[in-house]
Formats: sequence, structure tokens, C-alpha cells
Amino acid sequence: MPKDFILEIGTEPLPARFVKPALEQLLRKTEGACAENRLKHKSGKYCGTLRRLAVILEGVDEKSEALSQEVQGPSARLLKDETGAFTPQAAGFAKKYGIKPQTLETVSTPKGEFLLAKVDIPGEPAIAIFSRILPAIIASLEFPKSMEWEESRLRFGRPIRTLTALYGKRVVPFKLAGVKSGRLVQGLEVYGGKPAALTEPGRYRLVLKNLLVIVDSEERRAILTQELQKTAKQLGAQLDADADLIEETVYMTEHPVPVAGAFRKEFLELPAPLLSLVLKKQLKFFPVREGAALTNSFIGVRDGISEGQKLVREGYERVLEARLRDAAFFITRDMAARLEDKLPLLERVTYQKDLGSMAQKAERVGRISSWLCESIRQQRPVKEDVAALVSRLCYADLVTEVVKEFPELQGAMGGCYARHDGCDERVALGLEQFYYPVAARTPIAATDEGALVSLAGKIDSLAGSFAVGVAPTASADPFGLRRQALGALRILLEKQLPIDLDEAFVQALSLQPVGLDQSQKSKILRQLGEFVWARAAAFFEEMGHKSDEIRSVRLDGLKNLPRTFRRLAAVHVVRRDPDFEPLAAAFKRAANILRQAQFQQENGGGSERAKLQDSAELAFYDALTSIEGQVRENVYHDGFEAGLKSLVSIKPHLDQFFDKVMVMAEDPELRRQRLSLLARLVGLFKSVADISELQGRS
Amino acid sequence: MLTFQELILELQRFWAHQGCLLIQPYDLEKGAGTFNPATFFGALATAPTAVAYPESCRRPGDGRYGQNPNRLGKYYQFQVLIKPVPAKIIDIYLRSLKALGLDLKKHDLRWIEDDWQSPTLGASGVGWEVWLDGMEITQFTYFQQMGSIALSPISVEITYGLERIALYLQKKDDVFDLDFNERFTYGDLHRSQENQFSRYYFEQADVAMLRRHFEDYEKEATCLVKAGMPLPAYDCVMKVSHLFNVLDARGALSVTERAQYIGRVRHIARQVINLYLEQSPCAQAPIHA
Repeated sequence: MPKDFILEIGTEPLPARFVKPALEQLLRKTEGACAENRLKHKSGKYCGTLRRLAVILEGVDEKSEALSQEVQGPSARLLKDETGAFTPQAAGFAKKYGIKPQTLETVSTPKGEFLLAKVDIPGEPAIAIFSRILPAIIASLEFPKSMEWEESRLRFGRPIRTLTALYGKRVVPFKLAGVKSGRLVQGLEVYGGKPAALTEPGRYRLVLKNLLVIVDSEERRAILTQELQKTAKQLGAQLDADADLIEETVYMTEHPVPVAGAFRKEFLELPAPLLSLVLKKQLKFFPVREGAALTNSFIGVRDGISEGQKLVREGYERVLEARLRDAAFFITRDMAARLEDKLPLLERVTYQKDLGSMAQKAERVGRISSWLCESIRQQRPVKEDVAALVSRLCYADLVTEVVKEFPELQGAMGGCYARHDGCDERVALGLEQFYYPVAARTPIAATDEGALVSLAGKIDSLAGSFAVGVAPTASADPFGLRRQALGALRILLEKQLPIDLDEAFVQALSLQPVGLDQSQKSKILRQLGEFVWARAAAFFEEMGHKSDEIRSVRLDGLKNLPRTFRRLAAVHVVRRDPDFEPLAAAFKRAANILRQAQFQQENGGGSERAKLQDSAELAFYDALTSIEGQVRENVYHDGFEAGLKSLVSIKPHLDQFFDKVMVMAEDPELRRQRLSLLARLVGLFKSVADISELQGRS
Repeated sequence: MLTFQELILELQRFWAHQGCLLIQPYDLEKGAGTFNPATFFGALATAPTAVAYPESCRRPGDGRYGQNPNRLGKYYQFQVLIKPVPAKIIDIYLRSLKALGLDLKKHDLRWIEDDWQSPTLGASGVGWEVWLDGMEITQFTYFQQMGSIALSPISVEITYGLERIALYLQKKDDVFDLDFNERFTYGDLHRSQENQFSRYYFEQADVAMLRRHFEDYEKEATCLVKAGMPLPAYDCVMKVSHLFNVLDARGALSVTERAQYIGRVRHIARQVINLYLEQSPCAQAPIHA
């Protein structure tokens, strides 16, 4: 009869972030190893906490499936020697499969005759299989960082202290890292980790619950969220239910119990990001809000029961008070001088050894941002004095006490201090959001001025790093250039800025304090363009565009990113037109003919109707001429979809042209006329997309 | 309620019962109890060891003229080093907290991931900060490497932050208000020292002299390594490490210079480690007090 199986790996406290990935691996690897050993089970699941990783398989057969197998061995000639005795090869082959050499048969194949062993592998008891596979499964779990702790030198996330393994009611015996498997499970630590015996896998959750451990992470999450909400409600306020902190808390506790506390109201005058950071990051407390504003209450989560709540609350409050007093001390010191006055200190902060100080970087950001402002002055006038001040001050907060203590508050503190200094709110906002976007789905800088300076910062980082050869590799990206490139692209797209990124990199590269000759410069610019385009391509793909569509708009793709995006959207829509795909094939043919003829548009000199002969080419000429103006007009006004649709209308004429007309005519003049006709068409298409990149629907 | 001195006594009593050798503080300045030769060489040696000791640590840059209730330029740690590591080490540690009068059922005890690294010693370990009701009271580390060499067997190092535990036990908010014993406060013993040493480290220290001494001890260490004497050579490592800390607190080092000084300390620490390992540490007593 099938029975349930459980394995619990009892560890010293694992870092919260290790737990879930380890559980997923444990289930996958256990099910995989069972399948490999032909041991069937109905269903599998995992559960765990920072102190235990458990996998449960339900309905595991008592034995693995028996298997009859035919194994081909050495050549049949090797069965017996001249004396009629089995050769060592034949005997060895038989022995390997646990059969007698007498039972060996032969099989003929196209490659000749071979020995054949018919092997019956009987089913193996589940318990024996588990004894055999569990040590290897456990040893193969991977962690972000692993360690050694005992003489067998096994590596694991944290030391393994107990192993509990049952099949039905029986212990699965094995030993690993000096620990013997058994049926005891440990209870909640603050209760002295009192153990209890597990009689069968199905009772696991219940037995642990009696030991005050909620082993199922979803159950723990539900209890945690519910209790936090309840506590916040009792405080008459709302919980700041930070998703990361909830996730961390779920895996940091075995029995979460909220403890509400408060701090002195005067600390509410601390900047909100700082207050929030001290609560969440330093102490793992949940802030409590009234509307958008923080209140002087907080909710901590203890791992235990609600005995001695007052002691715990007092402890939390005392620690928090000390931390907030530290923070207030730093703020007071920082506010003693204006942000502006801290600028000289930036000269002593190195950005990168070959790229100078942060003061020099700020200077470059200023120049780049003023170039950016100027380049879009016609279309998008911005307050250039605001942008100039933001770029001047954007790194000033790096030398403040608060940012030295809490580097993640860079930017945010710049904004706070600028407001305190009485700067224009747009300047403060620009500083606050200079490093935006901080993650894939978080916002970019809100104002145009802020967005331009933020963009300038990223362009400088990219150009500088490529100039000194510290571009990211597959495994290392110490300056976060991938994130910065993506940030730059999102700013251009979301703010719809018609900025020529290729040209911006030329400007930025010329400002780097590195001696480069012209050929080095062009090489670096090419690498930069490719790197940034690769990020753009990944971003477009994430938005649902196919990679061939993205390739089709690569030409001038970075010259005006919002426009590139509209070209892409048009390709995406128009390619669904039934005529489009055959047209793409015809287009490809046209482009190939031009390439083979090494035809350059400039030596074409245009085509003249009078010099054409065939009726098909005349019709093609007329059709092209009639849509050309319209397409150019459309493209000029970014009406790429309409432009492409007009182009599609030319398909019958192009087909006729290819059917009836020999492009590479003997007469050089006629040939030139025909080639330039094709070149007109190709050029017209490429102003939207190089549709030869589009692959047929397969 | 335990006074500061009783706290040390209790920890000594507890770990002595666990079979630890109790030694006295080492007589040179050091930034952390880990620098004590009992831990430094203890972690490298292959023979089993179990040792416990209180240690005063000097962090020149952390001094606040005796004005800050939480920050000190000199403070105490209680340090335990054991190998091989007993399977019930966490349980033993929890019992040490109970021995200090803590009823763990009434508290929140958390293990927060915190891996330890010492760039100057080329050393690293994996472990936790232990939080008692939110306050960090212990660093609990399994040493993994020393001088960039993988250690075997692995040692566990438990470092109690004595002032923090005392603040908790005595329910005080200011370290200077702690009762050292029934008659004296922590402030009676330490306030003037904190004040004068802050002035010395931040304002008065003779930079040229410190640099000179750094070089002298650096040379001496190299000579001693050549002469095959890792123990006195290691004293020189402790010396240069402290001199570097004072230069740093004094604000005398630029960013690049700072990195260079760290590199120099690491270089001689590495030489001492190599020499010690060459001299077959299994034949040596693991504890140097």
C-alpha cells in the first residue's frame, strides 16, 4: 500500500532569503530522484521556516517498478575462447548485470553481432531508495552563500543539526554531516527547542503546531498579515505593509507575534525616508501611517508567544530610541551647513580611479545636461537654471553624515537638505529623484528638469565606464550599468524626449578625463551603442515585441527613442496584413539585388520615367511616385502605421515588376534606372523599418 | 540584577563549566577580541581548542568624548572560541543567556544573517548577529578563512557585547550609568578616559610619529618572520593595525592612502600566517595567551 514520505532538514537559523529557493530545489530534486529510481508518488509539496526545510511526498509506492532491460555488450565473438571457456570480457559483462554468463544471448545489428544481457531489475523497497538518495539530494542543495562547520566538510547554507525522515511510520535510516536521521522534530527555540516524536508524515504540521511552530509558510503569512492588520487597527491607523518586509518576516519567524510600540513624537520631524529606513531596514519594524504621514507608532514582530509582551516592547522602544537619536545627531550635523557648502568635499571623494572625483563627475553631468536641454530646446523648453542647479548639487549629499551611514538614502537626503536650505521645490525634487528609477517598475524622475539631469548622470556613467574599459561582463556589473542604461531608456520613452542618444554619447565621451584617439573613440561609441541597444531590445521584448520586429528598427534606433518605439508599434500592427509577408520577401529580394549590384543611392541620381520601357516598370514607377509623398509626409509626422500601409499597397506593382522586368539589363543606363527605382522603394521602407529582418510566420 | 563585573564573572563561570580555558586579556591594543592571539592562532591551529576571555577593544574613530550614551572609543567584549564545534552550540549559547538571568520565553531572540570579514587579516566567517528584543547582543561566527586559507577544522567564535547586555539587564539608556559594581558606575571608570582619548585620537596625536612607528613595526614584523618567530611578529601586526586605526581617526589618511595602509597590514599578517602554518601548527599548543 502506498505511504507518505517526509524529510525535514533541521538547521541552525538560515537567512530568510535562503529558505524559499532551497525549498523549491528540495522538492524538485526529491521528485526527480524518485522518478529516476522508478519510485512513483501521487503528489509532492514543501514547507519550512528558517530552521527547517521539509519535503512531503504523498502516496509513495512501497517498491519501485520492476524493470526488464536488454543491455547490449561486447562483440559476440568474445563469448568464449578457443577452449570453450567464457572470456574475461563476457564474464565481466555478465557479472556487471548480476547474471550468469550462460544466460547471455546474442543480437545482430547492422554493426555486427553483439552479446545481449537480459536483466530483470526487481523493484526496490522505497525505504532503501530513500536511504540511498537523500544524502546526495541534501548535499546538492545550492545557497547564495554556503559554509562548512564539521569534519566531513559538507557545504550547506547553515549547519544541519537534525534530520527527520519517515516513510509511513518507519524511519528512513541515513547519516550526513555527522547527523543520524530519526523521528524527532524540534520545537520553538525560545521554548528550549523541546523535541517531539513524529509518528507519521501526515501529522507533521500538527505536531509542530503543538510545539508552537507554524511550518507552512502560507499559513504563517496569513496569520502574520492578519495579526499586523489587527494591531494597526487597534492603534487606529494603517499598516505600512511593505511587501519585502512581510516576505522577510515570514521566513524569519516560526511563530510570528506582533508587538506594538511607540517613539517620541519629536522624532517625526526626521525626514520620512530616514525614519522609514531606520524602522524597516535597521530594526525590521513595520511603520504605521495615518493617511500618507507616518505616526509615532510602530509594530515589531517577535518570534515567540505573547508572554512578556511588555518586556519585548520596552526593549524594542529602547533600541529604536537609540537609533533615532543617532539619526537625529547626524541630521543636526548635516544641517549645520548648506548643501552648497559641502561641494568642496566632493573633490576628495573618488568616483573611479581613472575618472576622477565626484566633483569632476558633477561637472560633467552639468555639461551633459546643458547639452541635452539645448538639443531639445525647440520641442521641449525646460527651466535650464533649475537643471543646472540640480546637476551642481546632485552628488552633494554623498558627503553628508546620514548618507555615509545609510548609502541607500542618496538622493532622498539631497532633496531633504535642499528643502531645508530653502531651494526651489523643483530643485529639491530633482535631487530626490536623481537616481530614479531605482528598480524595473519604480517611477522615473517626475519633472522634465529632473529627468534630464538624471539622464545626464546615467549617460556620464555609461560613457566613463566604457572609456576606461570597465564595461559590464556577463557575471559582473559593479557600477550597475545595465540598470542605468535601462533607466536612461525609460526616461527617454516615458518623457517622450526626442534626444539623439548616439550624439549624447559623443558629447559625454569627449568630456571623460581619458586620452583617446579617434579610432578608440569610434570603437567605444560602437560598443556603447550596442550595449544600450541590447538593453532597449530586451525592454521592447518584455513589452511583447518580437525580436525580428525589434531588429527591423535598429537603424537610427537610438537617434530618437520615442520615435523608434512608434516605428516598432507600426511594424507590429501592419505585419498582420496578409499582403505584408510576401511583400517582405519581395523587399528582401530588392535589397539583395541592390547589395549585389553594390548600388549606392547617391550615385543613382534618381530615376526618370522617360528612360523606362516596360509597362510593368512604368506602372511600378507611377505607383511609387503616387505614394512617395504621402509616405514621407506620414513618416515626418510619425504616422508610421499609415506610411507602412501605403507601402503595402505597392505590392502588386512590385510583384509585376519582378515578374516582367529584368533589373540587371544589358544597357547600363537602363540598369541604373531600374536599380534606382528599387533603391527609392528600399529607402522609403527603411525610414520606418528594415522589413527584410522580419521572419515568416512558421 | 547583575552588575557589569558580575556579568563577566557569570560568563566566565558558565564557559569554564563548558570546559573552556579561561585566559586574561592580551596586553596590546586591538580593535576586536578576534585579534587576540588566542583567537587568531587558535583558528589556524588544527588541534582542538576551547578558550574564553574578556577583552577590551579600542576603536579610536568611535570615540565621542564621553558624550554619547551608546558610542565608545574603548569597550569590552567577552569572547569564546571553540573547535571542533559542539553540535549543540546554539543550545549552549542560549543557556549562557539564561545563566545571566534572562527568561527567553519572555523575550524575542532573533538570528540575523551577518557574515564577518576582516580585510586586514584576509579573514572571513559566516554567522549572525543575535538580537535580544531588537538589540544586538552577540556576534556568532563560524570562521571559514584566515589569511585567505580555508580553515579546517572550523572554529566557532561567540562575541558578547558586554555593555549592550548590561544596558539591557540593568534597564539603563546610558552606558555611563551602568553599575560596574555596587559602588562604581561605568562612567566613574571610563568617562575621563573616553574624553581624553577622543581628544588625543582626533586632535592631538602626532601624525609623523604614528607614521614612523607604523613603518618601524612593519619592518620589525618582516625581520621576525625571516627569523622564524611568528608570535612576536604577530605582536607587530597588532601594533601596526592599531597605529593605522589612530591615523584613520585623526583624519590623516586620504582614500588611496588608506587603502594602501590596509594593504600593508594585510601583507604582513599574511606572512605571519604562512610562517605559522609552515611550522606545523598541529604540533603546537593552540592557545597563546
